[in-house]
Amino acid sequence: MDILKVRDAKDVEQAVRAAIEGEQPVEIIGHGSKRRIGQPMATNALLDLQALNAVASYEPSELIITVQAGAPLADVISLIDAKNQHFAFEPVDTAALLGMPNIGTVGGMIGAGLAGPRRIQAGGARDHLLGAHAVSGFGDSFKAGGRVVKNVTGYDLCKLLAGSWGTLAVMTEVTLKVMPKPECVRTLVLRGLDDVSANRAMTMALGSPFDVSGAAHLPHSAFRGDVGGLAELGSGREPVTLLRLEGIAASASHRAAALGERLLPFGLGEILGDAASDAIWRAIKDVQPFAADGPLGAWPVWRIICPPAGGGALGEALARATGGDVIYDWGGGLIWAAVPPRPDAQAALLRPQVDQAGGHAMLFRATEEVRSAIDVFHPQPAGLAGLNERVRHGFDPKRILNRGRLARSSPA
Amino acid sequence: MTILMPASDQAVLGRRDAIVAALRAIVPGEGVIDSAAEMLPYESDGLMAYRQPPMVVVLPDSTEQVSRVLQYCFEQGIKVVPRGSGTSLSGGALPLADAVLLGLGKFKRIRAIDFDNRAVVTEPGVTNLAISQAVAHAGFYYAPDPSSQIACSIGGNVAENSGGVHCLKYGMTTNNVLGCEIVLITGEVIRIGGKSAESAGYDLMGVITGSEGLLGVITEITVRILQKPETARALMVGFAEVEAAGECVARIIGAGIIPGGMEMMDRPAIHAAEAFVHAGYPLDVEALLIIELDGPAIEVDELIQRVETIALGCGSTSCRISSSEAERNLFWAGRKAAFPAVGRISPDYLCMDGTIPRGALPKALRRIRELSDQYGLRVANVFHAGDGNLHPLILYDANKPGEMDKAEAFGADILRACVELGGVLTGEHGVGIEKRDLMPEMFNEIDLNQQQRLKCAFDAKGLLNPGKVFPTLHRCAELGRMHVHAGQLAFPDLPRF
Repeated sequence: MDILKVRDAKDVEQAVRAAIEGEQPVEIIGHGSKRRIGQPMATNALLDLQALNAVASYEPSELIITVQAGAPLADVISLIDAKNQHFAFEPVDTAALLGMPNIGTVGGMIGAGLAGPRRIQAGGARDHLLGAHAVSGFGDSFKAGGRVVKNVTGYDLCKLLAGSWGTLAVMTEVTLKVMPKPECVRTLVLRGLDDVSANRAMTMALGSPFDVSGAAHLPHSAFRGDVGGLAELGSGREPVTLLRLEGIAASASHRAAALGERLLPFGLGEILGDAASDAIWRAIKDVQPFAADGPLGAWPVWRIICPPAGGGALGEALARATGGDVIYDWGGGLIWAAVPPRPDAQAALLRPQVDQAGGHAMLFRATEEVRSAIDVFHPQPAGLAGLNERVRHGFDPKRILNRGRLARSSPA
Repeated sequence: MTILMPASDQAVLGRRDAIVAALRAIVPGEGVIDSAAEMLPYESDGLMAYRQPPMVVVLPDSTEQVSRVLQYCFEQGIKVVPRGSGTSLSGGALPLADAVLLGLGKFKRIRAIDFDNRAVVTEPGVTNLAISQAVAHAGFYYAPDPSSQIACSIGGNVAENSGGVHCLKYGMTTNNVLGCEIVLITGEVIRIGGKSAESAGYDLMGVITGSEGLLGVITEITVRILQKPETARALMVGFAEVEAAGECVARIIGAGIIPGGMEMMDRPAIHAAEAFVHAGYPLDVEALLIIELDGPAIEVDELIQRVETIALGCGSTSCRISSSEAERNLFWAGRKAAFPAVGRISPDYLCMDGTIPRGALPKALRRIRELSDQYGLRVANVFHAGDGNLHPLILYDANKPGEMDKAEAFGADILRACVELGGVLTGEHGVGIEKRDLMPEMFNEIDLNQQQRLKCAFDAKGLLNPGKVFPTLHRCAELGRMHVHAGQLAFPDLPRF
């Protein structure tokens, strides 16, 4: 397989133009940390962006950073951390879940658009991408958005690029919003709730004025293996419901206590401090209970997004039907489900129930064989699917970029 | 300045009677308006210097009617201009002589309030404020708060991606909408998103928001609602130098504090507002900051102190801290009345809307002052300082020959300066017709072509709201053509492995 190591945006243009001419679809990679996600691709060359790794500018007081797409995410996170800033949407590190060596690049983070627990409060990757330079499937460099937060000049193409899995354009440089890190974190822990009760507690917390920035529930099965980050929760192996409060110390403590009082009908909670909170929320963000080297490492994993207040009932039903394990984030709006292996990863059983709950389910981890056999991304109604396809066509009519990643059996 | 609109289709105008009759068959009774007198209120939007009677006005009251109207227009090749409450400040709802004006004013119902999922499902004609009012009894509100919120419709907010004073902390419309029902020009009805945090597929809701009525007609919207913060307090800080106020804004953000709102006014704006509402603004300062902190009382009290210290360190000459809701509202009263207040000291004014990086604020103000001298027109400045969104108000008299042209040229120069300083043409008012011809200042032809290819995915015939946003609208067939990059398609000069 050809590997095209590009050095700058001009190289990307050339490579894409050559791919168009030769009708050779290319797979866009940075570190390759998420190559195992999606429908197996029908590509026969790699467009390698690792060399596009410069930080073009970082202006802490403007709350923005502009970096090339191939910049290692870990380095960029360290850079902004030194100024006490972060990406507020908490990019998910899929390394443990997928059994890959690292978190990948900034471009991969945006292309996948995977937000962590703070999604409920701070928004997703799409809300933090302010601008981008990219090369379309026409082989043309274009820019979208700008370098300021408040901008309504023209269509907001950045929204499309975030979460497009590299199927619309090759991003070469992005401008991202950064935010001050909270001074202090508190976690209110409730124990022993079943999934539906936990969902109700999280709903009540998110409907309170206490500005909850994380709401997750781990049924007892989540403690099957020894997940390091969860050690602080003790070894009782009972379900835990976790509510995060962040801000200046006085405020976070006050809100944690006040929320605990409001949730007394669900039992007396305990409050954890910064270090324990950081470890726990990282474990939830990165789905560590389903890690590739853990007891469920061989099970397929689904990522299910649904209306949050119905998450508990849906997750419980899915766990029962599939014999799998679930964990809940986003107050019930995000369910990670690990299910015992079947040729279809239990899609036939799972998807109708997700549909009925008004959600959608993506097969996040599975063998290549399983990912070839079923729709990895949730099938859409015909009208919506048609519109999505026309949008894709407007960016990449020859299907040169990451061909086949989003949809099975689509015509070349 | 003349803004050229697309040439009228004489064949369509010639068929006007038949078109009116066909529309009446779809939307019966008073839902079709075709008399010149009755169409008068629809001739312009909030950009009142521009007027144009539409060919006919249609006010459907169901998704099915919208769908049939659009399908008819699509089949007949008739242009359509969608309209909410008509408060656009950029001419987004300006009619065309040969177009159907499609008003969503009858879509006035809130369809569902779902406190558990923290979402409201609403029709597009509901006003922004009505949504907050409908959920206030449970302590919730809808965060984006454009100044026109008592009148502007939520459908128009989505079309324009409206902002407001509080979007520094709570985001713009795009960060607060979850889904919609949209009717395409073909009449096809599509549902996007819902009560989930994210939808499957491309983020179409993200591009529909802020698309200025060029992609489809929205007939239902699901918005996210939030709990009201426990308390809010404001500081009113005066500075002898604009630069010091700009520095104060930067230092507050730099200290990790994101206020609920952070507004700046310059001397002319302060004086106009104080004369109008008597908010107690200091008159001996060059710049005034209104900084609002919200959250639990314990947090607000501490942050107020931190902000006060920062302000003193930047050389503030006066600082008042609200000690009651009434006092906080009074601080805001002047800022919120700044536009009408300026209206009292000048026969006409033009409100601009560029965004710059926060740090460029002093430079931008200096440039605006220079331009003011050069054009011989006064200007009053109000800013959403926290996010660098400028609203210079250019004062002029439309009755003086040539003065409106001069004011518009001044405004265009300000927006060019915004782009030069690393900012953008519009922060929240939209491009519409007002900034359409300035788009090339920010985007090159390739950039604009890519945006128009998105338009083609939704509206291949270019019938929805033509003449807005894009200086030239290319035909979709032309945009879809693959370029031949002659000579460049040879083996690329790349390391291969």
